[in-house]
Amino acid sequence: MDAPEKLVIIVTHGPDEPELATLPFVMAAGALVSDVEVVIAFQAEGVRLITKGGADDVHADSFPPLAELIGTVAEIGGLLMPCSPCLESRGITEDQMLDGVEVIGAARLVTEITSATATLNY
Amino acid sequence: MEAQLDQAGLATLEAAKVADARGSSCPGPLLEAKKGIGGVPVGGVLEILTTDPQTKSDIGAWCNKVGHGFLGVADADGYERVYVKRAK
Repeated sequence: MDAPEKLVIIVTHGPDEPELATLPFVMAAGALVSDVEVVIAFQAEGVRLITKGGADDVHADSFPPLAELIGTVAEIGGLLMPCSPCLESRGITEDQMLDGVEVIGAARLVTEITSATATLNY
Repeated sequence: MEAQLDQAGLATLEAAKVADARGSSCPGPLLEAKKGIGGVPVGGVLEILTTDPQTKSDIGAWCNKVGHGFLGVADADGYERVYVKRAK
């Protein structure tokens, strides 16, 4: 059997940009229901989206509320991976992150990217 | 690939499950379809109710990708009924 397709999505925008913060999760949902594996990596302000309560007030017009969408994406198998130094530089600790996220460094992200069939950058 | 049905053919379908995604936009109807198809036996039909005009093309693409049969779309009163046959 062929290896499953894998999409890596890199999120760099935070709660201040609701549409750019939401679109990665819309695409992730579309991929996951289509049997494509999804890894979402969070860098820069993007890391704030997956802190506890970090997406609670984010709701772009015509899209589902972001917190609801993140919950759905995680529930159907999306892997959420924030960048370690991006958390550190913002004073965000691991216990402030949503349950189930995996904090990663550059080399780990590179292995995810090079083994993916496609990447999307937001 | 499953052949699409005409309106008369669609009208004869008996859905094993109905997923009501009315009022929801992308990716809501797709997520409802994915959730709903699990409750349909293989060979059975899922009916998705939607007010989002893009749902039919999105569900069609999803069916092509994962192998389910896209049976077609019927107009209803202010919404659409999208029919999918579970293939696996």
